[in-house]
Formats: sequence, C-alpha cells, structure tokens
Amino acid sequence: MVEINVDEDACVGCGSCVEDCPNEVYELDKEHRKIVVVKETDCMACLSCHEICPSQALEHRDIHVAKRLYIDRKVNKAISKII
Amino acid sequence: MEIEREAIRGDFKSELIPKETGGEIDDYEGALHVLMKFVGSMSTALEQVSGRGANAIVYQAGKRMGHEAGKLMEKTDDLEKAMNKLSEILGIEFYFEMWKPASQDGYTIEKGDETVVKLLFMDCVVRQTLRRTGLPQKGPLCYILYGYMIGAVEEVMSIKGKLDIDHVGPNACLKTLTVKWGAK
Repeated sequence: MVEINVDEDACVGCGSCVEDCPNEVYELDKEHRKIVVVKETDCMACLSCHEICPSQALEHRDIHVAKRLYIDRKVNKAISKII
Repeated sequence: MEIEREAIRGDFKSELIPKETGGEIDDYEGALHVLMKFVGSMSTALEQVSGRGANAIVYQAGKRMGHEAGKLMEKTDDLEKAMNKLSEILGIEFYFEMWKPASQDGYTIEKGDETVVKLLFMDCVVRQTLRRTGLPQKGPLCYILYGYMIGAVEEVMSIKGKLDIDHVGPNACLKTLTVKWGAK
C-alpha cells in the first residue's frame, strides 16, 4: 500500500498539491499552513504532486516507479558520483 | 570534438547477419534516444501542419496497432478479462492496470448501455518520449494509446469504445475507457 510522508519542515503550505491531485489525497491545514494526507488509499502514484511541490516536501513509499529510459545512463552515472 | 567510431569488419551473406552488428547496450541506448527525438519532432511537425488533425492521424496509427494486438487475444465479452489480457500483451512498454478509488466496489461501472473502467498507465514509452523531447503530455502522441485501446477492444469484444484522459503525471496517467454495448 502507498505510504505518503510529508516533510513538515519543508512544506510551505502553498496548497499546489491539493489543487493538482485528482483524487483529493491532500488537504490544506489552514491553521498550521501545512499539507495533511487524508485519502492515502486513493493515491494512484502519478507523482504530479512531486512535480508541482516547490519545496520537494513529499515522499511516496511502496509505489510502482515507472521506467525512465529517457534518462541518459552516462549522465546518471556522473550525477550519482556527486549525489 | 572528435568522435570515436569503431568500424565493424566481417563477412556478410544475405541470409546470415553477422552477430557483431547486433551492437552493445550503449548502441541501443543511443538509438532509443535518437528515436525518441525523431518521434517527438514528428509529433511537433504534425501538429504544426495539421493542427488538431494530428490527433486523428496518431489515433488512427494506434488503432491499427490495437487491432494487430487484439488478434493475439481470445475474443471475450468480459471487459475485465480483456483488460487483464491486453495489459499482458502491451507488456512493459505500456504497463497498465485497472484502477478504482478505495470507496468503489468493483473496477467497472455500468451506465445504461455503457460500461466504464478506469485504467492507470504506469510504464509508457509515449510519456518517456515526451519527457525526452520536452513536450507537454496530453498532446497528439497520447492519442496513440487512445487508438490502441479502441482498436484492441474492437478486435476482442467487437464493440465500440472511447478512451478519455483524466489525469497525466510524471509517473502514471489515469484514463477512462467507456465501451458501448450493442454498438458495432
């Protein structure tokens, strides 16, 4: 089952993920200006929220990670030496 | 910059292709990237020349592929069975599964003479091509899957259908397949 973790220190509460998610997985806690995961079971792991999040505060666990053959392996290898 | 090229020397008979020409994994990677750029450019050019007609052209190409794939399958009236089998045939290039929200009981919903099923496309070479070439999703190339699914459904179930794109993401895309019973 998908597990979504929100880094509360990183989340700026912009609500972009709330607007972008088609399955209403997230809700904005207006009082604390943070994102709350409310419907984790409806997450289909499209990862649109990752793409739109300006602070990279989200982490999805136990999902099908789609193949990304467009990534150049040589570039990837070079980057992995740095990161 | 000087590019190193290693020439392949060998004998050649028309019916026997030298195995050295099969290439290494790096050659395949290079070819894949060129192919992605080529398809991306084709898509952009199609859109420039034919506007929205590009969608119809790509749809038709996909439909033809779908009919070909459908011929490999056993004919059935069971939509879920057809989708599972089609998922196997499409394989890792277009890996998809039926999807439903947690509150919904089954994958299919009956609406009069129509049946609706949501499909979640995870691995997709179209998405990879679009990302490789910096093109937006939901463009003409996405119509290849529309055509593919409709072609396959027509072939396997002998009925008409349509595929709507609900949502596109970097890791998966959600689409709705609607089949109309009785429409041939």
